[in-house]
Amino acid sequence: MRRLLLLVCCICLLAGTAVAEAVPCDRDGDGTLTSSEVATAILDSLDARFMGGTVEAPPSDDLRDAAFVYEHWDGRALTITDSSGRTTTLARPLRRLAVFNSDTLEVMRSIGVESDRVVGVSKYTLEDPTFFPEYQGTANLGSIWAPDYEQAAAVRPDAIFLYATLSESFCDEIETTLMSIDPGIRFFRFDSYRPAVYADEVRKLGLLLGNEEGAERFLAFHRNVTGTVAERLSRVPADDRMPVYLENWNDYKSAGKGSGYDEKIELAGGRNIFADIMVEYPVVDPEAVISRNPDVIVKIVGAGELAFGGYGDDDPSSFETVRCSIGSRPVWDRIGAVRDDRVYVIHTDVIGGPEYFIGVAYMAKWFYPDLFPDLDPRAIHRQYLDEFQRLDYDLDEHGTFVYPA
Amino acid sequence: MKLPAVTPNRALLLCILVFVLAASAAAGSVERTVVQLPEGAGSGLEVTLTVNDIPVGGIVETIPDGCTWAGCDHPDNRTRVSNRTVAFAVVGEETVRYRLQGSPGAGDELNGTWEDLLTGESGVIGSDGPSRSGQAAQTTVPSTPGFEYAAALAALAAAYRWRCSR
Repeated sequence: MRRLLLLVCCICLLAGTAVAEAVPCDRDGDGTLTSSEVATAILDSLDARFMGGTVEAPPSDDLRDAAFVYEHWDGRALTITDSSGRTTTLARPLRRLAVFNSDTLEVMRSIGVESDRVVGVSKYTLEDPTFFPEYQGTANLGSIWAPDYEQAAAVRPDAIFLYATLSESFCDEIETTLMSIDPGIRFFRFDSYRPAVYADEVRKLGLLLGNEEGAERFLAFHRNVTGTVAERLSRVPADDRMPVYLENWNDYKSAGKGSGYDEKIELAGGRNIFADIMVEYPVVDPEAVISRNPDVIVKIVGAGELAFGGYGDDDPSSFETVRCSIGSRPVWDRIGAVRDDRVYVIHTDVIGGPEYFIGVAYMAKWFYPDLFPDLDPRAIHRQYLDEFQRLDYDLDEHGTFVYPA
Repeated sequence: MKLPAVTPNRALLLCILVFVLAASAAAGSVERTVVQLPEGAGSGLEVTLTVNDIPVGGIVETIPDGCTWAGCDHPDNRTRVSNRTVAFAVVGEETVRYRLQGSPGAGDELNGTWEDLLTGESGVIGSDGPSRSGQAAQTTVPSTPGFEYAAALAALAAAYRWRCSR
């Protein structure tokens, strides 16, 4: 009896999946929605609603979904591979989005995804009303480390967005649990902060969510910044690259080979003095920093015990304190960067997430001021906020992102 | 300075204006241009609907009494005519042109609505933008909240025009 019940359940699930995967209004069922099929569906709908027609009209959701598939996916189901390597096929648009990854939420805003499509956000999004004002009041999904499963299921999402490489096991668990509650939920994993896959992720999100034009517009802006920096840095031979020590908000915690920060130092034309360490975020010996003698030190703040600055903090005094404390470390006055007053403090908002390219522009200018006299990272930041984040935020009046400014 | 009195007519006009201006912040719209055809072509009118930022959508026009349908340039499989109502499916077109037989003044009595199936917006033809967002193509047959709203506005505008022309 139980086996029979299981079999019935399986058949129902499979049948449901099959129905869900058919392109709506595809009359001949060939998997491609033609303009003629779309037009017929529209006319049938108008006929039934306004002309007293007796033809069978498509349900309104089918009609709208068909319009989306026709316009954005060339009338065919979309097959897309996310940054975790998983391939998903969709025959309908994703209308209700639950976004655990606030970096991906920021990218969604960059490409013009309407905020009313987002039905759930992480607690970090809700804790940042200055940067995410439109999401205050949206359902709180918790975090990837402490998810609120009940809430996540209650918002009935079509898709849930998680990180691809950050805390993978936690994200796996969220998927397993929520899939057991609602097998119809789709899961997508994007990081939205790694330079190597950033453009690819932006483009995929644009296609997935029907914001291709917005994605291309944003990528043109992004390319303009990164391309300008790369082009000028091409004149600096590899051996002449600036030796850089980068430290995050934990003292002596640096960046090793293959880490995001290592990549960002390289993009800014620096040479990471700990690039030979195979651990992503190694804790280094202060003596090792002295002996490797960097020309520039970059200290990241905005998390851990240095959780200040960013969009919600206008006071740069803490940045100054941090900078002074680095120069005061025992024997660090022997380091070239300290001696030459080339210690810089940067907030994680503009180097750790989707705004990393703004931080790269700052670093490139710090590393090679003569090469970038006209590069204005603050202007890039302002344009990003005005044009792509559509935030009413005066960068001249508010926020603390770098020191010295 | 003495402020002009707000008569009911002015209030009505103001309401319509405020609504249209508020709606115009969003994207789609359809404009109508009516041209009287030359004498030799009979007492005909040519109506051009200019579709702005509606890649996939629908248009419904109501032909006034005294006019008859005389054909269109829109593809046959994207046009449907029934009594006094004409429906057009818009799939990438930026203009829809059709002809009517009727008196020269009939063009003023045309009214119609549009809906954008990508944004869910709908509106009255001739206003600058959608009069209702996210409501197009609801399932309830035969009424459609977005369209009903747009149709009500169209009727209101027609009534006002009729009052003014008296």
